[in-house]
Amino acid sequence: MNADLFIPRSLDEALSVVQTHGAGLLVMGGGTMMMAHLNEGIFFPKKVMSLARAGLSGVYRNGHTQIGATTNLTEVSQIADYPILSEAAYQIGGPAIRNMGTIGGNLYMPQPAGDLAVPLLAYDAHVELASASGSRTVSLEDFLAEPRSHRGVHELLVAVHLPDPTGYAAYLKLGRREANTPSVVAVGVRVVMDKQGQISDARLALGAVGPFAFRAKNAEALLIGQSLNAKSIADAAQIAMEESNPFTDALATAWYRRHMVGVFVKRTLEQLTK
Amino acid sequence: MESITVTFKLNGKTTAVAIEPLESLRTVLREHLHLHATKAGCGQGGCGSCTVLVNDEPVLSCLMLAALADGQEVTTLEGIGTPPHMHPLQTAFFDRFAAQCGYCSPGMIMAAKALLDKNPHPTRAEIAEALAGNLCRCTGYVAILDAIEDVVTQMQEA
Repeated sequence: MNADLFIPRSLDEALSVVQTHGAGLLVMGGGTMMMAHLNEGIFFPKKVMSLARAGLSGVYRNGHTQIGATTNLTEVSQIADYPILSEAAYQIGGPAIRNMGTIGGNLYMPQPAGDLAVPLLAYDAHVELASASGSRTVSLEDFLAEPRSHRGVHELLVAVHLPDPTGYAAYLKLGRREANTPSVVAVGVRVVMDKQGQISDARLALGAVGPFAFRAKNAEALLIGQSLNAKSIADAAQIAMEESNPFTDALATAWYRRHMVGVFVKRTLEQLTK
Repeated sequence: MESITVTFKLNGKTTAVAIEPLESLRTVLREHLHLHATKAGCGQGGCGSCTVLVNDEPVLSCLMLAALADGQEVTTLEGIGTPPHMHPLQTAFFDRFAAQCGYCSPGMIMAAKALLDKNPHPTRAEIAEALAGNLCRCTGYVAILDAIEDVVTQMQEA
């Protein structure tokens, strides 16, 4: 297998590799997805760059929280200020996978993998994309919806930015077994309540039930101005089911995924009433 | 690109090996260095049979570029015990019949060692969580958990 492997020692070096080799360059974070493809022997990239030594890992607080792209899932699972982010990270794989997989790489995982997008959408995350000519910050929502062919070619995801969390959040993942499995559905919610106990702001993010993780905005809108009660929870669950666009794969049928969106949105919102 | 040379500490000994750029650490361990305890299972990150320690942390050697081992410390099952001097985990797996086909045992033992090095007194639930990425299709896991608990008890008594 003849290939060029680049292991840049800094972001600048990584960006210059991107600039020089552009299209056709495969970028690896922790390699947990790309190495699996290589091992299948059906995929022969000619140019590969690993970001493992580019100095992009670490969690920084500076008015908001910044998580470097190659911060591994073990480290993400220990971030205390964003409980459903750490929970979601802990529920991925086993310890060895979490030592390898990175937050940046996780955001490039095709569904039904890539659980971290769900809590990150609930926390209004932005991602920082850098290229040799500068950097831009876009909402995670917009990033996930961008066509994949635009990525990894001329810019690199270098960090995830999170505003200070407000309100209450909950996360639930359904898999076919308890550990080390992709999601049938993953649900992340965050609600902010006013003094009267009415919801003033809501995020309801869904994973594994569409082409990418997304916010169920109609369900969010329905929750605003309501209290969390049996009716508002049931209505939000129903609307979230309608907003889902699930697929059938080896883990679950589209029908089952949609059904479980209803069950898990309900359970997740009910957690917030306790 | 031609082959590249990586140099790392393997089971305590500095080792240099010529590899192809995209070879996995598992392939290098098994096919270049002829250390066959580390198993080639699914190659997809699903089974844990290729688990080794890099800088004392468990990783899946099938998903790690061997090139990234350069300058690191790698420990395989061969590095923690030998037939005349078995590691307590190996002895406990033997005593508790924690292996039937044995294919998962090296990965299980390396994952368990990583746990015990950090947390010498884990609960049974913590042991199970540490093994969440390791599949065994023979034993039903009970004997494996029993074996690791035995080692925990031995360490408490020692």
